[in-house]
Amino acid sequence: MPEHSGYSRINQRIAEELKSIVGRANVIFADREKLEPYSHDEVAEDMHFSLPEAVVKPESALEISRIMKLANRYMISVTPRGAGSGLSGGAIPVYGGIVLSFERMNRVLNIDLDNLMVEVEPGVVTNTINEELKEYGLMFAGYPMSLETCFIGGNVAENAGGGKAIKYGVTSRYIMGLEFVTAEGEIIKLGGKVRKNVTGYDLIHLLAGSEGTLGIFTKITLSLVPIPGFRAVLLALFKSTEDAISVVPGLLRVGKIIPASIEYMDRLSVTTTCEYLNEVLPYRDSEAMLLIEIDGKTEDEVSRDYEVVGDICLKKGAFEVYVADNKTTIERVWSVRRNIAEAFKVDTAHQSLEDIVVPTASIPDFMKDLQALAVKNGVDIPCYGHAGDGNLHATVLKPKLWDEEKWLKKLDTVLKELYRITVGYGGEISGEHGIGSKRKKYIGINLSQGTIELMKRIKKAFDPNNILNPGKIFPDI
Amino acid sequence: MREKNSQETLRRHAAQFSYVAPNIAVLIKHVPETENLKIDEKTGTVVRKGQNAIVNPMDLYAIEAALTVKDKNHKTDITVITMGPPNAERSLREALSMGCDNAVLISGREFAGSDTFATSLVLSRVIKGLKNYDLILCGERATDGDTGQVGPAVASFLDYPVITYVSNFKLNTNNSGEFIASVDRIVEEGIEHYEAELPVVLTISKAIGVPRIPTLSGKKRAKKAVIKNIGFNPELFGEDEVGLNGSPTRVIKLYRPKVKRNPLIIIPKNEEEIEAAADKLIDFLKNEAGIV
Repeated sequence: MPEHSGYSRINQRIAEELKSIVGRANVIFADREKLEPYSHDEVAEDMHFSLPEAVVKPESALEISRIMKLANRYMISVTPRGAGSGLSGGAIPVYGGIVLSFERMNRVLNIDLDNLMVEVEPGVVTNTINEELKEYGLMFAGYPMSLETCFIGGNVAENAGGGKAIKYGVTSRYIMGLEFVTAEGEIIKLGGKVRKNVTGYDLIHLLAGSEGTLGIFTKITLSLVPIPGFRAVLLALFKSTEDAISVVPGLLRVGKIIPASIEYMDRLSVTTTCEYLNEVLPYRDSEAMLLIEIDGKTEDEVSRDYEVVGDICLKKGAFEVYVADNKTTIERVWSVRRNIAEAFKVDTAHQSLEDIVVPTASIPDFMKDLQALAVKNGVDIPCYGHAGDGNLHATVLKPKLWDEEKWLKKLDTVLKELYRITVGYGGEISGEHGIGSKRKKYIGINLSQGTIELMKRIKKAFDPNNILNPGKIFPDI
Repeated sequence: MREKNSQETLRRHAAQFSYVAPNIAVLIKHVPETENLKIDEKTGTVVRKGQNAIVNPMDLYAIEAALTVKDKNHKTDITVITMGPPNAERSLREALSMGCDNAVLISGREFAGSDTFATSLVLSRVIKGLKNYDLILCGERATDGDTGQVGPAVASFLDYPVITYVSNFKLNTNNSGEFIASVDRIVEEGIEHYEAELPVVLTISKAIGVPRIPTLSGKKRAKKAVIKNIGFNPELFGEDEVGLNGSPTRVIKLYRPKVKRNPLIIIPKNEEEIEAAADKLIDFLKNEAGIV
């Protein structure tokens, strides 16, 4: 854990105070074994891990408010944590201190069928929201790849994107109301069940994606959409990435169809994941695969659309297009896509899962540059992601024969170059995972000094003592 | 009909002299997706209203098995047959999109309520009237009824041999050019191997291989395909042979079995207690649970 002179350590007395707020059973202190699971998220490299001094599990906004007041009084850093499925170190307590875990705040508070809204606590598993909504024919349209484990609070904190952004947008689009506790312990309510709101600054959308650095969410109001009556997934096999990506603009322009998802997977991603899942998708000689989901009201509508989409794929060089149109097969195909990150992690812990986003038309050129970068540096960089919105998860893998020192040095070089290439195409270094602690030293490649300074002033206004999730986004605070 | 029969005779003759492609019938069932299956506890039947229905997942392996034969011999003719409500057509089209050649839907109000006995009787009569099939493939069982009886019952009505739980098979030809099925059957003790003359009924287990996903061209072909419809035909069936009248099965009572768990949890307070705790556990496993 890096030393940081500004913060106090948690001693027995402070631990007792914390226990008096949330109850004895809901504080973990001085128990390394129990603290350890809160020292990391899903970022693979253990150099990003950091042990908290205490884990506190509050149950209400009021308790959180008291914890924050205490933390300000003693100058203790506080790191909010959802399910720990993040990919940028956002929930890692870089300077120790308190990890605020939302595992007990996991209630779906209210399903409002008249306003088509749901109110939830931040610790609800994202998939659970949709399980509960299913019987009403409604859904929350966010679809992060970790939906079976991640918490909605984490989705809001990272403004999670996921697989259906091209049609449904990202998490923030659905946040209509937000209750949060400020770093100083004040409880603030923003918006509510209204679908339009320009009353004052749009703080909801400032907080969405703020990576737990501006406020601690305690209640989230999400707008709902009807569950599409029918879905189908096409799996199109291509000889080259260029062929695959060339499909994307045509679907919208020529086909006049907005698919729910257009996911790209390269050969190494597919083969590694199929092996991990013991799955036998017919990838054969394909170098690139597209997973395209079409949804709609009726089977006829969807099947008409997927024929159009499939024909465009064939015209653009797909040598085979498969169709999954029942839940079992759809889930089988999606499961491969969702498990890629996990499959590479099982393969090696030495890797860097990246999250760059470029304008969609630049994807083929970007992919060529990415290949050249891999060859030049002697590393594999398999790539997969959301072709529909240009958000690609290039994953830099450590060659088996390299020692750790060489790897980390090289990784730094590769990442810098990768980010420069990305920015060169008008892209951004993170599309949905966040900067967190993992990418903070590279933010200057992407944002101007003026932009960074402005953001820091915002941070200062929200958190004057810099105790809320410090060590994130900016390299020096 | 006469012409078809004479072709059939020709084909049979030819089989004795040269290599001919086999005719395969695959029997499938249209079942509700099991994700949110509901049972009406009063009637003991599955609530089908508002449920999406699909090809019985276990039958996909039978389809895959038939298609594997066709992969090797493109002249293989695969007919997929189901008895069910009119919308079972959807399952037949799924099978066609995977690569089956023809589809037959047996549907009619008279058939409603048929149990496995009546269903098998109807299927066997229809099969007899269609073609001389060399192979009849079925899934191991259906995910809704879970009986696994239809395959063997069809075989018994047709007086064909049956091999269940098939994990692997191939068709070889003997010296006279006739097909011989070389079949592995998966049982608890291991694998049994059989050689069977055709025709034979096989029920196919999951071990056969992962069912293929339909292609776009397969989907398009299936959408346009003409499905042969067979309704209730008094010349073929007696009224008391089908539907509820023809079904000897009676559901007496349907209930959820109660699972009783009596766990034993021993938490030793310190190291000294561990041994005594282990003894207690062993005693429990031996005398109470009867495991060791």
